Amino acid sequence: MPQIRANPNRMELLKLRRRGVVARRGHKLLKDKLDELMKEFQARISANRRLRAEVERDLFAAYSQFAIARAEAGQGVLGPALMAPAPEPLLGVRERSLMSVTVPVFTLDELPETGGYSLATTPAVLDAGLARLAAVAPRLLELAEREKAIELLAGEIERTRRRVNALEYVLIPSVDATIKDIQMKLDEAERSNLTRLMKVKDMIAQQQENAEER
Amino acid sequence: MSGKMLIAVVGDATSVAGFRPLGFDVRAVEHPEEARDLWPELIRGAHGAVFVTEPVYQAIAEMVAESADRPVPAVTVIPAAGSRGGVGAAKLDRAIERALGTSMASGEEES
Repeated sequence: MPQIRANPNRMELLKLRRRGVVARRGHKLLKDKLDELMKEFQARISANRRLRAEVERDLFAAYSQFAIARAEAGQGVLGPALMAPAPEPLLGVRERSLMSVTVPVFTLDELPETGGYSLATTPAVLDAGLARLAAVAPRLLELAEREKAIELLAGEIERTRRRVNALEYVLIPSVDATIKDIQMKLDEAERSNLTRLMKVKDMIAQQQENAEER
Repeated sequence: MSGKMLIAVVGDATSVAGFRPLGFDVRAVEHPEEARDLWPELIRGAHGAVFVTEPVYQAIAEMVAESADRPVPAVTVIPAAGSRGGVGAAKLDRAIERALGTSMASGEEES
């Protein structure tokens, strides 16, 4: 494990130990956050699958009604019938914080009245198709909101996991390795100091012995 | 970023025409690749939600992915008339893969 460059002294040792404690606490917090994000994510996924299946089914039904209408009346009639003035800003958008992830919340205004076309020339199935599409619109927006939240959660989970892994597999081990290294160097210095003192003591004792002999 | 926004629908004329009377901002494209030119305008901030049909999504998937981390617009895949479906689910699977680091077979977590 690559170590952090630090002078092997007690000051650095204390600093590194403190850093290790902070890193461990951060790691635990981030890991808890990751677990909670995962829980939220999993719960949303299965609910979303059901909603999507429902919405897709209704859309296909609406499409087939439009196809029948087109076959009955022809594109020449249907095209102008489906003309509309400029699009309206129908979507109320707020922001909400979901586990520190900013997700949009949509509210759909009332859709404009459809039916500004001649009832004499267009088939009845067109009305049914439009009604079905209008009915599916709120769920379509709900689906958009949910899928966006899932995507944003996925991004946050990815980032959080990277941080957790960086702490777990890089920072904490390298701090530990450096602490161990400094500890060893300090112990080594301690031992060499001790042997030097013993040696000096021996030398002094020898000198005193020699002096007494004389 | 709050207030009223537009809802866009991008796809072939046959699929998306019905959304026009509902007040949606309908962008009909003859060819899915044309959506590429529309895209910068759609993600500029006037649109809160953008629905793209499956062929369009497949043509511009990487452009969609670029704006995935922004809260708006929420880009959602809808089936086109006559398409097989399943692309929207595949887009979601990509998000799952991103989150879990591995892909999950459809419906596995429900068992």
